[in-house]
Amino acid sequence: MTGGTPVVAASGDAGVRLGELRAEFEGALAATDTVAAVALMERALADQVDPVRLLVDVIAPAQRQVGVRWQQGEWSVAEEHAATAIAVAATEAVARVVRATPVTHGRVVVACAEREWHALPAMIVDCALRANGWNTTLLGASTSPVRLSQYLQDLGPDALAVSCSMLGALPTTRRFVEAATSAGIPAVVGGAAFGPDPDRALALGATAWAPDAESAVRAIGNLPAVVPAVEPLPAEPAAEQAALELDHRALVAEIGTQWRADPELDIRDDAVQQTLHSVWAALLTGDTRPVPETAEWIRILLTARAADPTLAADLGAATAAVLRDYPLAHRLVSTTWPTS
Amino acid sequence: MGTEVASGTEVASGAAAALGEAARVEGALAEAGSAMTAPARVRPELVDEIAQTVAGSLNLRRMVLQLLTAVRPELADWAIVVLADLRGGAIRVYGGDDVGTKTRVTRRALSGTGLERILRSGRSELLHVALELADDESLSTLIPDGELRRQAASLRPVDVLGLGLTARGTTLGALIVVRGQGRGYDETDVATAEQLASRAALALDSARLYEERSQVARALQSSLVPPPLPVVPGIDFASRYRAAAEHLDIGGDFFDVYGAGDDWLVALGDVAGKGVHAAVLTGRARQSIRTAAYFERRPGPLLSALNAVVYEDRSDRFITVVCARVRIVPAGLEVDVAVAGHSAPLVLRAGGSIEQVDVEGTVAGVLAEVEYESTTVLLRPGETMLMFTDGVEEARGARGFYGLERVIELLTEYAGAGSEAIVSALEQDVVEHLDGRPHDDIALLAITCPGEA
Repeated sequence: MTGGTPVVAASGDAGVRLGELRAEFEGALAATDTVAAVALMERALADQVDPVRLLVDVIAPAQRQVGVRWQQGEWSVAEEHAATAIAVAATEAVARVVRATPVTHGRVVVACAEREWHALPAMIVDCALRANGWNTTLLGASTSPVRLSQYLQDLGPDALAVSCSMLGALPTTRRFVEAATSAGIPAVVGGAAFGPDPDRALALGATAWAPDAESAVRAIGNLPAVVPAVEPLPAEPAAEQAALELDHRALVAEIGTQWRADPELDIRDDAVQQTLHSVWAALLTGDTRPVPETAEWIRILLTARAADPTLAADLGAATAAVLRDYPLAHRLVSTTWPTS
Repeated sequence: MGTEVASGTEVASGAAAALGEAARVEGALAEAGSAMTAPARVRPELVDEIAQTVAGSLNLRRMVLQLLTAVRPELADWAIVVLADLRGGAIRVYGGDDVGTKTRVTRRALSGTGLERILRSGRSELLHVALELADDESLSTLIPDGELRRQAASLRPVDVLGLGLTARGTTLGALIVVRGQGRGYDETDVATAEQLASRAALALDSARLYEERSQVARALQSSLVPPPLPVVPGIDFASRYRAAAEHLDIGGDFFDVYGAGDDWLVALGDVAGKGVHAAVLTGRARQSIRTAAYFERRPGPLLSALNAVVYEDRSDRFITVVCARVRIVPAGLEVDVAVAGHSAPLVLRAGGSIEQVDVEGTVAGVLAEVEYESTTVLLRPGETMLMFTDGVEEARGARGFYGLERVIELLTEYAGAGSEAIVSALEQDVVEHLDGRPHDDIALLAITCPGEA
C-alpha cells in the first residue's frame, strides 16, 4: 500500500532487454492475456534471461504498477485481481523452469500471515530462493499460525521467510516469528507493511529484514543456524492491539457510521479497515509512521475518485472519537493523523 | 497495493540478541577464567534453561541444533551429538565446529570404542587427555570421525566427556562435549552434565517419536492432498483448498482433473464427515473415478460406477460429487455436467450474468443402482464454470452464513477475469467472512475458456 522505490535494473544490453520485456509484460497484463504473458516468460527463459531478473525487474515492478492503477481508480478490484492472476501465472512459468535447479542449500519455508492475500511477493521470493539452490516450501496466502507451526515442526527448515504487505497481517506475522524462533529457527521478514527501513521488522523480533526478493536471498544466506526465542512485546500496547483486534468488526461499523463519506464510495470499507490496521501496526511495533502514511494513502484514493479529500481528516477524527476507550490508540490517532 | 520496496539487507535483532546472549555468557566465563585457579563451573540452572530451549521444537534436527548451540560455551567449547538409527546400522553425528554439519559413520567403525560402550550401556565416560597426547588418534574412542577429531584436537582439549542420551529405557545416542585450556570437568560438572543429558534425551526421544509418526503421516497424506492442476493449453483451470483442520491440509473435500489433449474430466466432491477419516475416503473416491474414467468418460455413467463402488463398500458414508467432461471445440469449451447430490456448478457468462447448470442427481453410495443424467454447457471465450463444496455457502461468520447469493454477487464483478482471479477473490471473501471462526472443508475449482469475450 505504500509506494516503492523501483528496483535498480541490470545495466547495459540486459537492462534494455529487461525494459522491453517489462513493457511487453505490462501490455499483456493490461490486455488480460495470460497466454501472452506466460509465452513471454517462456521465450525469455529459453533465451537464457536470468529467471531472478524476470521476477525482480519484470514481474514485480509490473505488479506494483497494477496496485497503482487500482489506487488511482483506473482499475476495479476485479481488474486488479485479473492482472494479478496473470502475474501469478507468469511467476509459475518461471518457477517451472527454476525447479530444475539442483538443491545446494538447506530448506526454507515461505509464508504469508493471516490477512495477507497478496501471495505474489511470497511466490517471487520462493522462486528466487529456489533459483539460488534453496529447497523451498511455499504455504500460499493467509496462513494460520497453527498450520505454519505444523510445517516448521515437520520440515525443520533452516529459515522462515514471511512476506507481509498488509499492515493488518503484522499481528500474525509476529505469531509466525514466535513460532519459528521458539524452535530456534531464524525468521526473515519483508514486504511493504514493514516500510522502508528495518525498524518494524526488528521491533517484531525478526532475525532479519529483507525489502525485496534479492535481499531475502542474501539475508537467508547469512543467518545464524539457531536463534533464541523472541522476547515478549511491550505488554501495554500489545494488550491494546489485541483488544482492538477482538473488537474489530464493531469498531469498523461504528467508525463507518461516524465518518461522513458517501456510503456508495467503493473504497469506504477498505479505508476504515486500513485506518484501524495502521493503529495495530503502530501499537505492535512502536513505529507511528503507518498512521499518517495511511491517512495520506486514503487522501490519494479519495482524490483519485473525485471525492472530497478532507474526508481523510474527517476519518481520523471519527476514528479518534470511536477509540476513546483505548488510551494509547486514541492518543496515537489524535496526535499523528493529519488534521488537514 | 504495492509489493516490495527499496533495497539493502539488514541482519539484526534476533541475531544480535543471539550474539548478545553469547557475549554475556562469554563475559561471565572470562571473569571466572581470569581467576584460573577456579575453572568455570556449570551453573545448575543451565539444565532448566536448555530443557526449556529445546522444548520449543518437535523436530529432531532442529532440536539437536538447539542443544549443540545451547551447551556452548558454558558446558563445552566444542560438542557433537551422536544418534543411533534405531532401524538400521547407521550412526548420525551432528555438530562440530559448525553446528549444522551432519556426518555419517557405520556402527562397525565404533567397534571397541568408548562411544560404543556409551551407546550400549548409557553410562558416561570421561576422557582426560594428556597435553602431549592431544592428537586426533587419542580422541578416536569418543569422536568417531577423522575430520571431527582434527577439529577437536585443534582446541588442545583437556577433557572429553561422553554422556549417554537415555530416555524411556532406550539409549538413543550420546552427547560428546569437549573442553580445552585448563577447563576440565570436575565431579559437579559431570553430575550437572548428566542431568542435562537426561533431560535432553527425553525431549530428543519425543522428537524422534514425532518424526517417525510424521514421516508415516506425510507419506499417507501426500496421496490425499489435492493434486496440482495440469497446465492445459486451451483450458484455464484454477483451484483452492482449505481444510477444516487447516494444519492437516487434508479433509473430506476433494477434486481431481484427469485427461489428455482436448478431452478432460474434472471431479469435485465432498465426503460425509471431516478430518483424516473422511480424507481416506476421498482418496478412494478419487482413485475409483480415475479408474472408471479410463473406461468411461461420460459423467453420467461414470457417477453410476462410483455410486456402485461406494455402495458396495458398505461403509455408512456417502459422497456428493460434481463431474464434468471438458472438451475443447471450435466455439469454446463443451462441458457435460452430472451431479450426485451436489449443488450444480455456476456459469459466469461474458456479460456478467450468472446461471446455475440445470442438473441434479442422487447422492452416491446410498442406493444400489442410480442412473445419472448429464447436461451440456458451452463456455465461450471469457466464460467460467465454477464448482465448489458446501463449505463456501455454509461458512459461518459474525453475520451468519456466507450463502449462495453472496457467491453470485461477488462473481458478477468478475466476468472475464479468468479462473485464478475468481477462485482467489472468492477464497479471500469467504475467509474474511469467517474472520477466524472454524469452518468446514472448502474446495473451489474454476474452468474458464481462455481468450477475449
